[in-house]
Amino acid sequence: MNTPSEQEIHAYVDGRLADERRQAVEFYLTQNPARGREVRGWQRDAQQLRAALSGVGMPTLNPALDPQRLRQRRSQRLRSRLAMAAVLVLAMGIGGIGGWQVRAQRDVAAEPPMSDALQAYRLFASAKPASFDISSGESGQLQVWLDTRFHGAPRLPDLQQAGFHVVGGRLMAVDTGPAAMVLYEDDAGHAITFYIRPPSARGALPRGQRHDGELIAEYGSRNGYNLAMVSHDDRRDARVARDALPVDI
Amino acid sequence: MSDRDIDDQLREVMPRLRRFAQWLTRDASAADDLVQSTLERALTRWGSRRDATALRPWLFAILYRQFLDAKRRSRRYAFMLDHFREGENVTQPSVEREVIAHSVLQAMEHLTPEQRSLLLWVSVEGFSYREVADMLQVPIGTVMSRLSRARQALHRLSSGDAPTPALRLLK
Repeated sequence: MNTPSEQEIHAYVDGRLADERRQAVEFYLTQNPARGREVRGWQRDAQQLRAALSGVGMPTLNPALDPQRLRQRRSQRLRSRLAMAAVLVLAMGIGGIGGWQVRAQRDVAAEPPMSDALQAYRLFASAKPASFDISSGESGQLQVWLDTRFHGAPRLPDLQQAGFHVVGGRLMAVDTGPAAMVLYEDDAGHAITFYIRPPSARGALPRGQRHDGELIAEYGSRNGYNLAMVSHDDRRDARVARDALPVDI
Repeated sequence: MSDRDIDDQLREVMPRLRRFAQWLTRDASAADDLVQSTLERALTRWGSRRDATALRPWLFAILYRQFLDAKRRSRRYAFMLDHFREGENVTQPSVEREVIAHSVLQAMEHLTPEQRSLLLWVSVEGFSYREVADMLQVPIGTVMSRLSRARQALHRLSSGDAPTPALRLLK
């Protein structure tokens, strides 16, 4: 027979050859006793190595290495950087539309409402893996997290029936104070965000809707906060978001 | 995939990953530092992982590269470097002290980190030769010849009349 290739010899040692080739290699090794001794020695070493390691057992648990804790530490580190990035994005967005804004303020005294909610969606809901200040699939936990930061915050919408569940929340800074975003996702990975912040100097925001690129924001006010639900401009997601917006009107 | 699913998958691989790190660094705390930086990198890069890449070889490859980087960047990981010098009488993790009698494990100690890794990946972790080639970023033929050299070296070291560990380390 032909001399087996190096790969076949290793596959023989590791028990990865189909019967026919295995027999052929075995035959070759009996014909070439020196090589046979060497290869069977390798086989014994591998067995001993496996046996020795199985007797050792695995390292004991180290809680510091738990992925969830690493994730939290990482998001704490990222938080300050991302908050800064969010502020920069907002500043650039507002600066870029500055000329238009002057006219708009004269006319309707309004910048595009809740553009920060759309920016937040782009920054955090579209980034995978998203990093949160709190990661939780429990709506109750996120509500507590929200309530401690926004006194009298409205109830988080329940989107379970539409197949969306909460994933996590993130704090941000905007020019009027703290803002927060809660991300919902469905099994297909579609994202909807709930966004809350103090009203701007102009006061409460009348209910409205805004398209921006591929996104759509439903917004309004409640309990002294400006709120928005942001989703992709997809008929189903947008309807879920619109129906869920917890505003008065 | 939710964060929770990702975390569960990582937790499942963790013990084997830590064992591999211990074999590379030969020090339990340096090993866990290595595992931590590996996991942080994995979390950052999760989105760029191709679905076809199996999780275990992907993580092992990240860890191995981090180990090599750490060896190169001596300033940043100076405390780990102490443990990398070959042939030094380093403090063994207690796990290893228990099994020092096993001559095959003793022999492993004297191989290069790459040879040690190769033998663990192929013989213990059961990675395919293709996976190992991808992990080391070399052709599969290169993996085969390096594996031959590693197996020869291991056999040479383990087939002697296993002297006591102290004698071997002191000579």
